[in-house]
Amino acid sequence: MTLDERLIAYVDGELSGDELKLFESEMAADPRLAGEVEKHKTMAARLALAYAPVIDEKVPGRLKAAARGRPAAKGRARAQVPWMQWAGMAAGLAIGVAAGIAGGHFAWPQQGPLVTRDDGVLVAGGTLKAALTDDLGTQAGPMRAGLSFKTAAGRYCRTFQSGADRIAGVACRHGEDWVMQTTTAFRAPAGPTPAYRTAGNETPAAVLMAVDGLIAGAPLDAAGEKAARARGWK
Amino acid sequence: MSGLEHEMVELLPRLRRLARALTRDATDADDVVQLTLERAIARQHQWRPGTRLDSWMFGIMKNAWIDETRARKRHGAVLAPAEEGEHVGDDGAGIMEARLAVGEVRRAMASLPAEQRIAVALVLIEGLSYKDAAEVLEIPLGTLASRIVRGRTALMAQLQEVAP
Repeated sequence: MTLDERLIAYVDGELSGDELKLFESEMAADPRLAGEVEKHKTMAARLALAYAPVIDEKVPGRLKAAARGRPAAKGRARAQVPWMQWAGMAAGLAIGVAAGIAGGHFAWPQQGPLVTRDDGVLVAGGTLKAALTDDLGTQAGPMRAGLSFKTAAGRYCRTFQSGADRIAGVACRHGEDWVMQTTTAFRAPAGPTPAYRTAGNETPAAVLMAVDGLIAGAPLDAAGEKAARARGWK
Repeated sequence: MSGLEHEMVELLPRLRRLARALTRDATDADDVVQLTLERAIARQHQWRPGTRLDSWMFGIMKNAWIDETRARKRHGAVLAPAEEGEHVGDDGAGIMEARLAVGEVRRAMASLPAEQRIAVALVLIEGLSYKDAAEVLEIPLGTLASRIVRGRTALMAQLQEVAP
């Protein structure tokens, strides 16, 4: 090691044994070396101090949500990545709606499954809204509601997936709307469609993680779903 | 919330501090933290319980930061200029003199080459040992030590004049 390397390793507490003893004896014999050590220590303290206030700052909500595996409502504003993703998805959804009509599944044919409300909130529309509100899991249409559960705040939420629209996600009931909590790309497995509730392996990980973060207690059973639907999921 | 998620939430202040040391601008820093969290969640099965979660996440952040910087360059978005780094958090507190001194330090950090900056940040700001920092960066111990020396020497040269 060069003298500089040893000096800095000493300041960082990385010298031990003979190396440490040797450096300390050199320092004792050379005031200039001791002065350099002091300068480096001061600089390290200034650096640590300059960033220390970050520790006490309020952590933005979007980061807390991300740590819990939930999508952020906003953020990454500069990169504009989410916007571009939505633009691409919206183009795909137009095809999805057409496919839904062809399959005889439509309630509001002018709407895609995802609709941006006037206040900017993304909610279920068209076939998806119909499936979330009415399906109890017995239907085998292209847009299917899956698990139903309640959050700690008492809201009803349901998972959904559509092979035709290639999306899956979780939505929670707010008033008359199903507000998106998570949406992700979904590709239906090849072959005959398995019974949905037992097909955990086809549910995207992002959806499972979102459920895990939202659910309070166990998912609703068939009777619980029926009762919740009768009350309009309120 | 799972145990791991709880630990990640606990780590958020430190993740934000490291990102701030890497990126200069508070918003850029939080974008890097968010990308880090998203990747850590997606790969949580790769984390071995009993090992240090902070080291594991710092390693993910290193790659997230590199990728983010490259992506920005591709999209033609320049990183925030160093002057913006002088806004110390959002608190607006602190006397002018203190702010200038802090700005000086942060500007000096920003001037370091990326590989030296992250090595210095891990050791001097996050307090990792050379061994742990070398593991985070996936480089030999000697390489880490020489990046620390070069980084510290450059910082010293820039900060000497204003040192107290």
